[in-house]
Amino acid sequence: MSNVFPNALHVARREYLFRVRGRTFVISTALLAIAVAAVTMVPTILGAVGVGDPPEVAVHVAADDLATDPIVAIQAVLIAGGGPEGEEPAPDGESEERARVTRADDPEAAADAVRAEELDGLLTITRGASGDLAFEYLSGSGPTDQTRVLITQAANAMTIADRLERAGISAGESAELFAPPDFTAVAADPDDARGDEDFGGSIILTYVVVILTFMAILTYGNWVAMSVAEEKSGRVMELLITAATPRQLLTGKVLGTSAAGLTQYVVMILAVVIGFVANGPLSAALGVEGQLPFTLPDLEISWLLAFTVFFLLGFILYATLYAAAGSMVSRIEDVQQAVGPLIYLAMAGYLSSFVAMNIPDEPWVKIASLVPFFSPYLMPARMLLSTVALWEVLLAVLLLAVTVVGAIWVASRIYSAGVLLYGQRVGIRSVLRATRVAR
Amino acid sequence: MDARLVRNRATIGRPGGAHAAMSLVIDHITKRFGDVVALDDASFTVEPGRIFGLLGANGAGKTTSMRIVLDILRPDSGTVTWQGAANTELPRRTWGYLPEERGLYARMKVGEQLRFFSALYGVPDADARAVIDEWLERFRIPDYLDRKVEELSKGNQQKIQFMAAILHDPEVLIMDEPFTGLDPVNVRLLKEAFLQMRDRGKTLIFSTHQMEQVEELCEAIAIVDRGKVIVSGAVRDVKRAMGRQVVRLATDGDGRGVEWLSNLPGVTFTAQRADYVELQVPAGQDPASILSAALERGERVTRFEIADPSLEEIFVEHVGRRAVSEEEEHLAATAHEEPPA
Repeated sequence: MSNVFPNALHVARREYLFRVRGRTFVISTALLAIAVAAVTMVPTILGAVGVGDPPEVAVHVAADDLATDPIVAIQAVLIAGGGPEGEEPAPDGESEERARVTRADDPEAAADAVRAEELDGLLTITRGASGDLAFEYLSGSGPTDQTRVLITQAANAMTIADRLERAGISAGESAELFAPPDFTAVAADPDDARGDEDFGGSIILTYVVVILTFMAILTYGNWVAMSVAEEKSGRVMELLITAATPRQLLTGKVLGTSAAGLTQYVVMILAVVIGFVANGPLSAALGVEGQLPFTLPDLEISWLLAFTVFFLLGFILYATLYAAAGSMVSRIEDVQQAVGPLIYLAMAGYLSSFVAMNIPDEPWVKIASLVPFFSPYLMPARMLLSTVALWEVLLAVLLLAVTVVGAIWVASRIYSAGVLLYGQRVGIRSVLRATRVAR
Repeated sequence: MDARLVRNRATIGRPGGAHAAMSLVIDHITKRFGDVVALDDASFTVEPGRIFGLLGANGAGKTTSMRIVLDILRPDSGTVTWQGAANTELPRRTWGYLPEERGLYARMKVGEQLRFFSALYGVPDADARAVIDEWLERFRIPDYLDRKVEELSKGNQQKIQFMAAILHDPEVLIMDEPFTGLDPVNVRLLKEAFLQMRDRGKTLIFSTHQMEQVEELCEAIAIVDRGKVIVSGAVRDVKRAMGRQVVRLATDGDGRGVEWLSNLPGVTFTAQRADYVELQVPAGQDPASILSAALERGERVTRFEIADPSLEEIFVEHVGRRAVSEEEEHLAATAHEEPPA
């Protein structure tokens, strides 16, 4: 058997150039990049859209014995509810731009203004017969309208404050009643680095890693299988197999397609970075605070390296088998059927990683995170959501690498037998029989 | 006549020994696909620097033997050696291959595509460019360099495919039905290319159904039928081994009876054409005896020709007779069988 290189590189180069020059690739990459960049800016843009049309509500206070000014209370709720959750209301100067709550001295005129859509709503506060406050909200909005929901919340808060007041509890005392508890979570493992603040970010990053891996396997794996099947059905395969060995062809095909897939990923990641960077100026221009609702965990370079290794090895493992599957069919239409088992395998790892996110320390998750076909999903997930010993990571990488080498060997034999078998349906049995004497 | 006997005679007639070490030797190859025996103990030898024809009906095993020689398919048993080395040990660039099913990357440009295949065979890019230009010129399609293959006619695609097989200057060029789909002008161009390569010491093997190409080009042949090599060797030896010669005779006594010819001992009357009759003379009998018999009768002989049987006759006789006899065997065998329930 001759060396894999340089012929694998010639094949990879052809595959890569053919791929990235194709119109489909250029268009799909551009669309993905735009979509991804847009997603990163959506929160800012949505915030800006909300700000562009601040709610304007009039309040007619018929009850004259309220302890707190309802105008101030409603305004506070509207502003706090409009921004990111748990955020302090913005300083007064800026709050004017967000929501306007005015006192309606003439309720009839205000009601007319609501009907003319000059005002978003008119809230009338009266003292009911039972002694409780009664609220009447006149507006054109439905029950899910955010302003209406917030005003309902404000009405609840005002009613409770009013009842407490009437029960003889002062405003200061009631504020104490509703103060949040002192709650501290203590990790049993002193090495457990998970902090409450960055945990949301870790989960999001796990999603990103798992989804990117799955997408790469499905999309680019399919490219590999299609490309092999095309060469076979287009009969260029006989020329290739005469000029180069099956292992050279297979390795080159996987490398070239991986490189094209990575190109697409790099463009997408650049789009995300651009999106995040552009968020600052964009939010400044739109007059909102362009802050992400979470903070990314601080990752060491070694972790990123580990994720990259898992991603690449995992992808190459699947792509190699996709190539073997592609070599078994005679017609391009049959590719989907041939890669079916691989899709199920990839999907099993993908779905199990979502289950594992909530229980990263279960024994089966620990074991599965070492198993080659699942480790590309589960080990990064465990690394992000739990604590993993270094030996576990190294063992998973080692097992994965050994499996990749084995898969290339098996796949080349299937490939060298499969590429010359033509027929309606080339079954696994005839391929296996042919591999016994394959070169 | 027994096929085995014919083969033995043809084999004996070939200069062996000294040449065999340098030749392409296909030695007792057997290859099965499931229950189908594609090649059954097939052996033949191709001497270096020759043009060799591989003849056989569809499904006879020609493509399988080519693939086994190229080591893209491994036999169940038997070996292939070229100049003493096993084909499994030889570098890929030893071989050039034009498969029967033509196929190129349809959406790739001609020049790019040919450079890709040259690169796989280890040809430096600069050399490949020069050779590609030269061959495009020779095939009268110099401006196709930057055209996509799918834009070319079938015939021109086939020329590109031929170029893909030879750009790395292989020692042995193996071609499956190289002439099908080509117009007469391109057939001529291809033949010239064959002869030129042969003159440069290359060995060429091709399969075809077109016997006139074999008669014109091949110095040696093998006839394959149902996985068995029926006969192989130099064309002259194969023809001699048929054990008969053909005599074509014309006399100016038009319309007169030719019955007297069938009365000649050993002579078989095979055909009466518009202006001549064709006779077969068994080996060992001098065909000139017919001429003397005619002259003795006072015939005015306007044409007397002694020829070997054509390859077409030889082919039809070997392959056809075998097919017929097997058909009879099959009928005889099934006549006694009850159809399966």
